[in-house]
Amino acid sequence: MKGLKIGLAIAAVALLTIGTGGAAFAFHSGGVAECSGCHNMHSPAAGGSSLLVGTDPSSACLTCHSHAGDTGPSSYHIATADADMPAGTAPKQRTPGGDFGWVKKTYNFTLRGTPTTETGDSHGHNIVAADFGFTTDGTNTTAPGGTFVSAQLGCQSCHDPHSKQRRLTDGSIVSTGAPIVASGSYDSSIGNSAAKPIPAGQAVGVYRLLAGNGYTKGAASYTGVPAAVAPATYNRTEATTQTRVAYGVATGTGKVTWSNWCGTCHGDMHSTGNYVHPVDTAMSTAIKNNYNAYVSSGIMTGSASTAYLSLAPFAENTGDYTVLGGHAKNDNTQLGGPGDGDQVACISCHRAHATAFPEMVRWQSEGEFITAVKADGTTPVWPNNTDTPTSNFARGRATEAEQAAGYYDRPATVFGAYQRVLCNKCHAKD
Amino acid sequence: MKVICWKLCITILPLIFLAGVPLAPALAGVKGAYLYRLSDFTGAIPYSTPRVTVDKERKETYVLYQNSISVFNESGMEVYRFGDDLDLGQILDIALDGHGNPLILSYRSIDPEKGEIEIIRCNFRGEPTGKIVLKNLPAGFSDFQPNRISCSGGTLYLANLSRLKIVLTDSDGNFRKGYDLIPLLGLKESDRGDTEIGGFSLQDDGSILFTIPVRFSAHRLYPDGKLASFGKPGGAPGKFNVVSGIVADSKGNYLVVDKLKSTVMVFDQGFNYLNQFGYRGLKGGGLIAPDDIAIDKGDRVYVTQNGKRGVSVFGLTYN
Repeated sequence: MKGLKIGLAIAAVALLTIGTGGAAFAFHSGGVAECSGCHNMHSPAAGGSSLLVGTDPSSACLTCHSHAGDTGPSSYHIATADADMPAGTAPKQRTPGGDFGWVKKTYNFTLRGTPTTETGDSHGHNIVAADFGFTTDGTNTTAPGGTFVSAQLGCQSCHDPHSKQRRLTDGSIVSTGAPIVASGSYDSSIGNSAAKPIPAGQAVGVYRLLAGNGYTKGAASYTGVPAAVAPATYNRTEATTQTRVAYGVATGTGKVTWSNWCGTCHGDMHSTGNYVHPVDTAMSTAIKNNYNAYVSSGIMTGSASTAYLSLAPFAENTGDYTVLGGHAKNDNTQLGGPGDGDQVACISCHRAHATAFPEMVRWQSEGEFITAVKADGTTPVWPNNTDTPTSNFARGRATEAEQAAGYYDRPATVFGAYQRVLCNKCHAKD
Repeated sequence: MKVICWKLCITILPLIFLAGVPLAPALAGVKGAYLYRLSDFTGAIPYSTPRVTVDKERKETYVLYQNSISVFNESGMEVYRFGDDLDLGQILDIALDGHGNPLILSYRSIDPEKGEIEIIRCNFRGEPTGKIVLKNLPAGFSDFQPNRISCSGGTLYLANLSRLKIVLTDSDGNFRKGYDLIPLLGLKESDRGDTEIGGFSLQDDGSILFTIPVRFSAHRLYPDGKLASFGKPGGAPGKFNVVSGIVADSKGNYLVVDKLKSTVMVFDQGFNYLNQFGYRGLKGGGLIAPDDIAIDKGDRVYVTQNGKRGVSVFGLTYN
């Protein structure tokens, strides 16, 4: 009998021990997250795979990365819930990658007398997340410039949820070795400033758990991870200050340039071997000079120290994360324009998730002007059905706020009236 | 006898570890029986993660979806609708003031830092009758911008889910008490951006119930400021995948929504797991990515879902 009591006591201690788990902290922590956040050992979705609980992988992601009731940009949310997007309002998240909610915003309007539709699926990557109402691209059956099947597109097509890719103390990126101890994505992360080096015997995760060398999904086989550092607070309005993600150019084992990474699925859109806009290419002196002098249409009085525009970012010609970390700011303290060797990349014109505009361009490129004037004839305004109802550039946006959301809430006065499309930031043809 | 007992323990212990299932008063009788989905005369309304709240006195259910507020009667039929333009701003949440009058939490800007959050008093028709302005907010709460509102006993309970702050005011908006959950939960300031409240509701005694999905935890904040917590990560019944809404029933049991598992788990007052209902599925009582939850005086449970699955209603029964 005494044995039974001792046994029960041990069992009780065991139960208490099981019940005192540690804090979860940032969940992903630079690598594979807590299993229970996505998988269920005992009651996964019937007919699903990998013991996932969501109907599909992206639905599992959005269980945390989308949340109804946000007032505005909120932490790690990357898709505004349907409930928060009534007609006439814009999605609320302002991450550098963009809000997937835009692919659900279809605009109908009359353009030069012709009824016109700007479909939501043109606004971004059409991830399939059935639980959250995200469906297969209605236009493209495969990735433009590639063969990746649209119906297979999900968060896991670009992000590796179990990422083993790690950046070591020497800057190399490999899939085995020192343990990943934290995210390596932020200016505040260890390894992204001289003051906080990666401790010996440790490693940090790669930028945004992006798919790396050896990761294969469908027709996509990645060969490395591109370099970037984001400010720790990145999902925010840019009404007053810009959010600068410092994109870099890293080469070597486990690393690729940004556009080569995008080219994993969109290979025929890469300028290597194809007659298309150059990418992964150093900006010419003329282009750099344009970028640094350009303020707005016709105004070329800017300077290199304040030229940066998050609506047209570039990749800095460095793979040094301490340099990138120093440039990844959201307080307008790092607005330097392109220097020698800095490159144009896919992300110079497109956001990775979605934007307010066709072809997921960072600005409205379906016309010549992106700003207009109010009825007084002088006050700059983002075109919309309320202030500029006869404008061809309102394109179905109900209010100025809805149009401004596409520009991360900047006031139109940042550019002034009759600003032309932002191709001109580099090309200055206006 | 000793040998038998030790063998018994040695056999049981691994089973406990492997199963990961709480032993406690398991499966004591609380069941959730599916009743219906909230509907209009064309059928179930295909909401995706709306907000839901219950007027317990008048047995009416309020559902907020895309800036439109629908009122449902006791049979789950829509009987009234208001707010479906942007005149009231972008509506974030709704509470009832105890007299059947809606209190609407809304804002007029994408940037909550601009301080354009409004609490609008309405009459029973949803017509604005006044505004409540938050007053006398102390340091630490001066920039408080709520996105959840509840009301009980003349006190407004306001929460900012992503900042993890809660403010209590009187019915005129005068500050009474504030909670910053970061220190209460033993977290660091640097955790604030990576942590948020999932579900938020009130218990009859004024306790605040909330969940923290990334910590796999649920909490009861008592009126005296004492905090009780429960929850462990895991896939077994009673463990948490990604938790969201939380309410308490008339017996004091806690109902916790698990978005990922697509279930509603029931725990007793001692936080012991009792049962669960829902389960992922499109039929009858199945749930798809459930999120919010509300409960009326008759222990009817209203669960919102994603994927245009609307609001499913369950009745709790007790053995």
